[in-house]
Amino acid sequence: MYVKTLRVVFAKPLYATLFLVISFFVLSVAIMLPHVGLIRTLWQYESVSVVEILLLTANLYGSLGTNFTILSASYTVVIALLFGMQVTLLVYYLKSIRNKATNLTSVGASGVGGLISGFFGIGCAACGTFLLSSILVLFGAGGLLAWLPFGGEEFGLIGIGLLVYANYLIIKKIDAPKVCTS
Amino acid sequence: MEETTQKQTNPYLIPAAILIAGAFVAVALYFGGSTPTPVAVGTGNNQPAVAGQPEPTGSTDAVRTVTSEDHIKGNPDAPIKIVEYSDFECPFCKRFHDTMNEVMDKYGDSGEVAWVFRQFPLEQLHPVKAQAVAVASECAAEQGGNDAFWKFTDGYFDVTLTNNRTDIETVIPQLAKEAGLDQTAFQTCVESGKYDDHIAADIANAVETGGRGTPWSVMIGPDGKTYPINGAQPLAAIEQLISIAKNEQ
Repeated sequence: MYVKTLRVVFAKPLYATLFLVISFFVLSVAIMLPHVGLIRTLWQYESVSVVEILLLTANLYGSLGTNFTILSASYTVVIALLFGMQVTLLVYYLKSIRNKATNLTSVGASGVGGLISGFFGIGCAACGTFLLSSILVLFGAGGLLAWLPFGGEEFGLIGIGLLVYANYLIIKKIDAPKVCTS
Repeated sequence: MEETTQKQTNPYLIPAAILIAGAFVAVALYFGGSTPTPVAVGTGNNQPAVAGQPEPTGSTDAVRTVTSEDHIKGNPDAPIKIVEYSDFECPFCKRFHDTMNEVMDKYGDSGEVAWVFRQFPLEQLHPVKAQAVAVASECAAEQGGNDAFWKFTDGYFDVTLTNNRTDIETVIPQLAKEAGLDQTAFQTCVESGKYDDHIAADIANAVETGGRGTPWSVMIGPDGKTYPINGAQPLAAIEQLISIAKNEQ
């Protein structure tokens, strides 16, 4: 039943495109986060052309293979795809119910929870290069990373779990009858 | 009569959720950029890495001037210098070490690029061992000069299992032997603690330049412009950056 729903949604070119765009955007953010400083620096140097910056940015996508472990690269891609799917399903669902207000609390909360958890996990990928280590260090808890059995990559796996659950909730909502008659 | 049986809740919930997610991404960007952070990563021999040092500015311009005291592979007067702050037990440093060797194979002989190696052992992630190997590499340099340093360093990154899994009690003496060092003098140096301050200074400079993880590098162009290199970037990206820096002169 759920697979059929997915087929219905993603068979439409508009939703398939939205899915790809959102997934690519999330993946790009995850890959480019450590390189924001470099790209910002290049924009500040007036003599560096836009073409050069774009070429470098394209090359930086290769850091998915060098700046991530196999595990973190895998869950980063999965998180991006799941988030793209989540947004697409949300848009489909909201469009289908039009202006009818409904209870989306659980869907919204678990979706945001999934995204947040996923980004925390991504942050653990490169020896604590950014988010999680920065935040933990701010609270003097950087050593926690070494203490965690998977060095913090647990957060990425939790993120996948939350996003899968969020997608499941939305698909269920799409499948469920929206109006009951008495 | 028809009626909706589902609860009427705030219709702005989903847009709000997306906004929260966006805010989170913004926070991630903030921390992922070169914003100053009171970092305490990488302590050596229980000394706070940034104790007594100026508050980190996070500016790559704070990179310490490259001198003959540095460990340099390639032409010391090369117009482009890549200053790497590295941790011997970090898996991404091992990966980036290979990348940098490829860079030097391509740009080293012509004297275009020099590779400067500085210490950034992350004590919180790789306790004891990262610092111990950093000290050993400095002692290798003291005993056998620049060649011995690079022989030791290349050799260590070849064999390290990373993430504190390396048997340093076996590997360090073996590498010292292969580098042709006097074992007794080397061991005396390692146990002396004489390089703790030097390593702490390297760590402090890494933090000052914006480094908060390893590998962290700063490329210095011919005109003195600096470029942050965060993490183990692929060879193609480093080459593109070298090309950009060359065009700047």
